[in-house]
Amino acid sequence: MVRRAEFWGGLFWLAFGVFVTWQGWLLELGSLREPGSGFVFFWLGLLISALAISIALNGVRGKGPLLGELWQGARWRNVLLVILALIAFGFLFEQLGFVICSLALLLFLMTFVDPVKPVLSIPISIVAAVGVWYVLEKVLLVQLPKGSWLEGLPLLG
Amino acid sequence: MEVVAGLAQGFAVAFDPINLLYCFIGVFIGTLVGVLPGIGPISAMSLLLPVTLSGTPESGIIMMAGIYYGSMYGGSTTAVLVNIPGEAASVVTCLDGHEMAKRGRAGPALGIAALGSFAAGTFAIIALMLVAPILAKVAVAFGPPEYFSLMVLGLTILSFLTQGSMAKALLMAAVGVVIGLVGLDQINAMPRLTFDRLELVDGIGLVPVVMGLFGVAEILSNIEQQIRRDIVQSRIGSLWPSREDLKASAGPIGRGTLLGFLLGVLPGGGAVISSFASYAIEKKLSRTPERFGKGAIEGVAGPEAANNAAAGGAFIPLMTLGIPPNVIMALLLGAFIIHGLQPGPLMMSQNPGIFWGIIASMYVGNIMLLVLNMPLIGMWVQVLKAPYKILFPLILMFCIVGVFASGNAVFDVFVMITTGVLGYLMRKFGYEAAPLVLAFVLGPMLENNLRKGLILSEGNFDIFVTRPISLACLAVAALLLLAPLLPALRKKREKVALDVTE
Repeated sequence: MVRRAEFWGGLFWLAFGVFVTWQGWLLELGSLREPGSGFVFFWLGLLISALAISIALNGVRGKGPLLGELWQGARWRNVLLVILALIAFGFLFEQLGFVICSLALLLFLMTFVDPVKPVLSIPISIVAAVGVWYVLEKVLLVQLPKGSWLEGLPLLG
Repeated sequence: MEVVAGLAQGFAVAFDPINLLYCFIGVFIGTLVGVLPGIGPISAMSLLLPVTLSGTPESGIIMMAGIYYGSMYGGSTTAVLVNIPGEAASVVTCLDGHEMAKRGRAGPALGIAALGSFAAGTFAIIALMLVAPILAKVAVAFGPPEYFSLMVLGLTILSFLTQGSMAKALLMAAVGVVIGLVGLDQINAMPRLTFDRLELVDGIGLVPVVMGLFGVAEILSNIEQQIRRDIVQSRIGSLWPSREDLKASAGPIGRGTLLGFLLGVLPGGGAVISSFASYAIEKKLSRTPERFGKGAIEGVAGPEAANNAAAGGAFIPLMTLGIPPNVIMALLLGAFIIHGLQPGPLMMSQNPGIFWGIIASMYVGNIMLLVLNMPLIGMWVQVLKAPYKILFPLILMFCIVGVFASGNAVFDVFVMITTGVLGYLMRKFGYEAAPLVLAFVLGPMLENNLRKGLILSEGNFDIFVTRPISLACLAVAALLLLAPLLPALRKKREKVALDVTE
């Protein structure tokens, strides 16, 4: 039972449903004549919980794939690296600015996730990062982070 | 007469040089994303949503619409030449299109796909032009109960037609409504599920959610497997189909067009379903069904016409009722709202230039697409040869840029990463993202109309079942919800899901 994907998926959404129901209750249900802010949340939370229980029960009955089968033969290391790279990008975006962050992200992905020869990866990364920056900042006038850690450096700031 | 005058005004808007340029950019990008596997129209439209802010509303929406129907055209190229659907609606085209290509008939396969798409697209625009004004007049009489019930029906149809478990699809729709309601209560301005974070007061943005669930999740799913591309190496040859090909394709194109248009108009329906339905019908009607899957031109012509007609039909509920029937139309609704416009029954009278301008630009866009697809096939083949390991980092960067530019907030980038991981896990565990996104967009309208309906009726639910349109919508929704309990209907639904999976 505990090795079934359906069981864990159902359990996750059950927790979500219970949370939404509780939040709906806290927000006040109001009355049918004048439904409150939590009215829809409360009932949706109950609906989510009921559906989640039915899905989890499928897992208990042994239906659906095993958890391990979902990642069988998958290159999950790549997935993990991309997620970590994106999170790092999110945290460093404002500190390092768009150009440096994008350049680093592109080089990282083309070096460690699915390697591309440096003769290709380096020029592609530079052209893409600088090109997108130019189009957004200079043509479309979209403000991109310049990098708080790099303030004062005329070329990068 | 009203239609002719409107259309004349529309062509004046569409032929404005700047709008022509936006239309061209839209259909070009649409064809490009249709050709490239791994980035679909949803991701491309989300990416370009912020770009539309720099122009007039009509320019931006003309471009977005161009991306949509352009991607329907472009998707067939990848399906025929590489056996990978460029976007979901071209899955069926792979079956016979690629087989034709392997037998040295890539040219006629691509040619009939382009011609079928053009014919269907043109029919859909004409029908849209004729039906929309009538429906808009009817829709003026719609009140909160009708809108609520229609949205419930749309979400139910989408959940019913989704692959696999209906319970999971309904759960996704419910989760989508919850996420869509985060932010200030529209009625009493009370913050809901904001956890004291200022960024959440205005709600969660559509662009980061869509980019995460479709763009990032798609990339994560693709990079965990080795993508093999079986590009047809032989010469493509003449694109013009032979007389026999045209004769064999005429019926499938006609039927596919009609079917696609009708399914496109239905809330929850759309291009993907219509292409599968058209394929099934053509196979059933054929005297030689054994040819299907082995290079039958009817298997390319019908579905390609159906998915393009559906793309046109989907504009009707959005433009006349203000209700998006699918995720792509939901994005288009987002574009309208960003520009301060509300599509719906009053749009035609309040913003005739925009309404008719979009319709007229679709004629122009369809001709541009024919020009783009026929002679530029060679260029699209070269694009297809770009390896995914170079494409995916660039797509990821564009996703980040698009999301950041849409709200100028790093918070949105984190929303995209979170929904990206969630979307990837949802794919793994067999949960579809489409009902979630449609419900996310419809959520605030759904709640608003439910609460308004209850306030109007002083707390009496009868208001939803005493009005005929509302009752009809709820009755169909109830039937669909109960369908999985009936063995015959359950088998039918499972068969559709199985066909889609295959």
